[in-house]
Amino acid sequence: MVNAVHHVEVSIVILIVGSLVSLLFARRRKLCGWVSFAFVCASSVYTGLAVAGACTVASGEHSILSLPQLGSSLTLRIDPLSAIFLAIVAVIALLSTLYSVRYMEHYAHDKVAKFFPILLLCVASMTGVLVCTDFLFFLIFWESMTLTSYFLVTFESENAASQRAGLKYFIITHGATLCMAAAALLLWRTSGSFSFDAIRQTLSAMLTARPFLANAIIFLFFLGFATKAGLLPMGDWLPDAHPVAPSGMSATLSGALVKLGIYGLIRLFCSFLVVSPSLKIWGIILALAGTGSLFVGTLTALRQTDTKRLMAFHTIGQIGYICLGLGVGVYCLDMYPALATIALAGAILHAVNHACFKSCLFLGAGSVLYRTGERDMDKLGGLAAFMPYTTGTTTIASLSIAGVPPLNGFTSKWLIVAGCLLTGMRFPLFLVLGLIALFISLATLASFLKVLGSVFLGRADENLGIKEVPISMIVPQVVLAALCVLLGIFPQLVLRFVGHAIEGVTAMPVAGVNASRMWGGLFLIDGSPVAFWSPLAILTVLAVLALLSYAIQRAGGARTRSVPVWYCGEEHAAATVRYPASSFYLPFKHAFQGIYPSGKVHVPKFPAPLRRALDFDQWLYRPTVKVIDTAADRISRTHVGILQIYLLWIVIGAIVVTGILLWVRG
Amino acid sequence: MITPVAVLMLILPAVGALLSVVLKRRARPAAVMTATITTGLAVWLTLSTFGAPYTRMLGDLPWLHGIVDTPILGIFVDPLASLMLLVVVPIGLLTVLYSTAYLTDKNREHPVGSEHYGRYYFWLLLFITSMVGMAVSPNFLQFFAFWELTTLCSWALISFHQNERSLRAGFKALLMTSAGSAFFLLAILIIFVRTNSFDFSALSKLPDGLRSWVFLFFLIAAWAKAAQVPLQTWLPDAMEAPTPISAYLHAAAMVKAGVYLMARTVSSGWGIPPKISLLMGGMALLTIFVALSFYFVQDDLKRLLAYSTIAHLGYVLLGIAIGGLGATLGFRGGVLHIICHGYSKATLFFCAGNIAYVTGTRNISELRGLGRSMPLTATAFFIGLLSVTGVPPFACFWSKFMILSGAMRLGGPIGPLILVLILSETLISFGWMLYVGQKIFLGAPLATAQVPSDIPWAMNVTLIILMIGCVAAPLVGMPLVQLMGK
Repeated sequence: MVNAVHHVEVSIVILIVGSLVSLLFARRRKLCGWVSFAFVCASSVYTGLAVAGACTVASGEHSILSLPQLGSSLTLRIDPLSAIFLAIVAVIALLSTLYSVRYMEHYAHDKVAKFFPILLLCVASMTGVLVCTDFLFFLIFWESMTLTSYFLVTFESENAASQRAGLKYFIITHGATLCMAAAALLLWRTSGSFSFDAIRQTLSAMLTARPFLANAIIFLFFLGFATKAGLLPMGDWLPDAHPVAPSGMSATLSGALVKLGIYGLIRLFCSFLVVSPSLKIWGIILALAGTGSLFVGTLTALRQTDTKRLMAFHTIGQIGYICLGLGVGVYCLDMYPALATIALAGAILHAVNHACFKSCLFLGAGSVLYRTGERDMDKLGGLAAFMPYTTGTTTIASLSIAGVPPLNGFTSKWLIVAGCLLTGMRFPLFLVLGLIALFISLATLASFLKVLGSVFLGRADENLGIKEVPISMIVPQVVLAALCVLLGIFPQLVLRFVGHAIEGVTAMPVAGVNASRMWGGLFLIDGSPVAFWSPLAILTVLAVLALLSYAIQRAGGARTRSVPVWYCGEEHAAATVRYPASSFYLPFKHAFQGIYPSGKVHVPKFPAPLRRALDFDQWLYRPTVKVIDTAADRISRTHVGILQIYLLWIVIGAIVVTGILLWVRG
Repeated sequence: MITPVAVLMLILPAVGALLSVVLKRRARPAAVMTATITTGLAVWLTLSTFGAPYTRMLGDLPWLHGIVDTPILGIFVDPLASLMLLVVVPIGLLTVLYSTAYLTDKNREHPVGSEHYGRYYFWLLLFITSMVGMAVSPNFLQFFAFWELTTLCSWALISFHQNERSLRAGFKALLMTSAGSAFFLLAILIIFVRTNSFDFSALSKLPDGLRSWVFLFFLIAAWAKAAQVPLQTWLPDAMEAPTPISAYLHAAAMVKAGVYLMARTVSSGWGIPPKISLLMGGMALLTIFVALSFYFVQDDLKRLLAYSTIAHLGYVLLGIAIGGLGATLGFRGGVLHIICHGYSKATLFFCAGNIAYVTGTRNISELRGLGRSMPLTATAFFIGLLSVTGVPPFACFWSKFMILSGAMRLGGPIGPLILVLILSETLISFGWMLYVGQKIFLGAPLATAQVPSDIPWAMNVTLIILMIGCVAAPLVGMPLVQLMGK
């Protein structure tokens, strides 16, 4: 099973080499893209092999480098949990690179030399993060990932907004990384090692011996991971950074990169902490943070008119869902392992699903941007007529994120909400949170109906000359939309491995989700039909009903008429009579005006007195030099250059010396 | 074989210096040649003495016969000296290489005619000799002699342009570092009077009370040389020097002499009294924050970098102080920081040089959007700044991390306190540096910055090598620092 690790190593090496090679071809825009794509393809194949080798049992460890004096070593290992996230990274990276090949034509001013090589390095570091089992090297991969993504966010160098966003992103996440470094060092103080195993042991020992310190350390870790994941308020970087990045990168950011924060949270709460009553508190904190994020994030998304910014806020919202599931799972780990399994499975599955639909949405928004140059929904409309593929895939992904059955978003949200409600019977807080989550699902649907309605529907000028995007940009969108449908109908495909991941990471023989029966739906291993959901059965019923209604319509012989909209007889250009995005949901917007406060950060002002105090030259050295200078001046006045005066000095000196001698003797 | 190589390495730059004076306008090839050979010798010397410290005494001072029995002048190469050599000599070569392109009449900030070449390369190569001599010193006396020679070279090179400001700055630097040197001399005299020896090991023969004083005097000398609070004010003014000099003397090499002295004294016998260690660490922390406070008001890019240098020398001293308190890991981190910071900060300074060469200004407010016309410089600057501020996986992250882990080895609340202070400083300086980097290189190009740029190849080559150094420095330094310690 060491093989799996070797495959990942090969994959990372391919990406690094690919980054250098694509740099060589940087002058030729398209060629550079295709070369990078070829390398990402090769690396994804190897990552895929690794995932296949480790998705049920953890692979062996492989140690590459050792730093004995720091108690650290670069040791790689893949367990089922990292395999799931590796699969996400590989797929999303592959599709976004393919998409970017043509998409990058959109940026005429900026060279691709600062896109593709860095994108490849970013993917390499994401892969590294997932297979590392040593916290020092984890941090290194983690921060490499941050810094490469920073350069991708600031890609448009002449756009002031992208620089502001990049700066905010890097500073906030670097602060979070430093928090994690502090936590790791505090742990290292007792354990002397950075390996994950040592962290687990030390942390669990510390929880009983020094609970305050232990919880402070957990909090620092939590801060670090949650910031990257985009939980509010630390995730404030997210709505700025996502829109300004090139769309391929936005898809990678939202689909894969922020997921690594979730990966970290799962590792922290399920693997670093032994199962103990103290997990309950953290479970509640996680669930509350998640609910806060999903509430604020989604409701703020309702107000947006910029497509990508809207989707970024939804990322915050969906991450909130994942965290809610995670929180419920962590809360239940101690007492109700079956419920914990449902909630955790929901959380992990939602991470996978979110990668599919959110990347698809960002790519769709990118396609619109590519053809129209617009992200502002008020200025868009009627694109369905010109861009059928983009419209179709975006619709599927929108319905999926809103949790419309039988698409994949529904399955995972269902598991999360079911976990909430079932746990809520024992601890009512979760009941409330579950209901909020349900309600917010509706708000998600509403906000994506706005996107679909204002961007794709309505009428547009026929002679705008907008076409569907090139085939290499359609393929990734279609693949992702297909995944949304596929994983919605057959959630077993992923849930089997999620079960292994939960078992592996919590080190408990919990009741995994039984996903072997295709028609029977989802059961727990022990057979209890909680969280029952059988997509195929329900889909069949829906299909039969649809057929039935179609048959009734045919039988009734009703005719459909297609007539233009009547504007009281006046003639208008299509753009002026469209229902604009900013007019949607006005009452909502008024009701939740101040839900997302924003402020400006000013350059720090330094107090003037302190500045003067620190200016040593001013009050110490210049006066000293002046005193010495004046003193020297005074002394030099005695040198008048007249021989007689000097003789006088000598005589006076002689007298004084003689006097002193006499006085001493006598 | 080692002795001739070491002696050759010491003499060769001096020969080059004399040649430069003779050749005047044609000094550049000679300077590059000698510096290159010296670098080769230094690398060879490091490899051949790796793991086996080498001492060989060569010369004597006739007037000390009868008082000191052993020879006084010689060669001493241990991991610490090797590490110093690997900072001083290769960056010296790069500086010479960079200068050949930078100091020409094409420079828009300070055009330099070829009639000044002789003088410039004489002092520069002499400085390499003096740093090499100091690095391989077997005792305090030789150390002091070369130490003073570096001060002299620094004075001459700061005042190179010979205008009002640079003359003042040179004189100020000379005054302040000499004041520190006086304490150095005092410490040596005390040691000599008490033990009849100039050896580093003589430190441990001193009685406890006196040793505290000696260490304090060394510390003051180090503060002056390494521009630490309260003697830090000469370094920002010294930025009047030509940029390669700022990169080499005032970031990578000469200011490192001060911290090298402390590393040397602390590691020979580990007899530093805890009080002095605490003082050194405390002042280092103070320095770091005082320097940080000056970041926000600098408009001159080089002065900003100078304050950052001050802070990072503080880091080195902090690491050494932690080592003095008993955590060897901290000492190793501090010493590793010498090489990591040397390469990273040199990168930044050379980038500042490129900017000044092309645009004729160093004022941050007058620069914007340079990334488009100078992609290589922009890349190097960002790598340099990420490295200096300790972002993994670049060089300074490793050394900072080792210093912090060393701090965590100390008992009591000191470790966590240092951790919190250092991490907050790291975040603030990182944020500010990134802000400055973005301001200079990103954004729409300003009119003043729109210059048809044609940067000479020598300057680009330097930057590329240094960028590699920003990543590879810990790979070189780590094996060396592993050999240090009790």
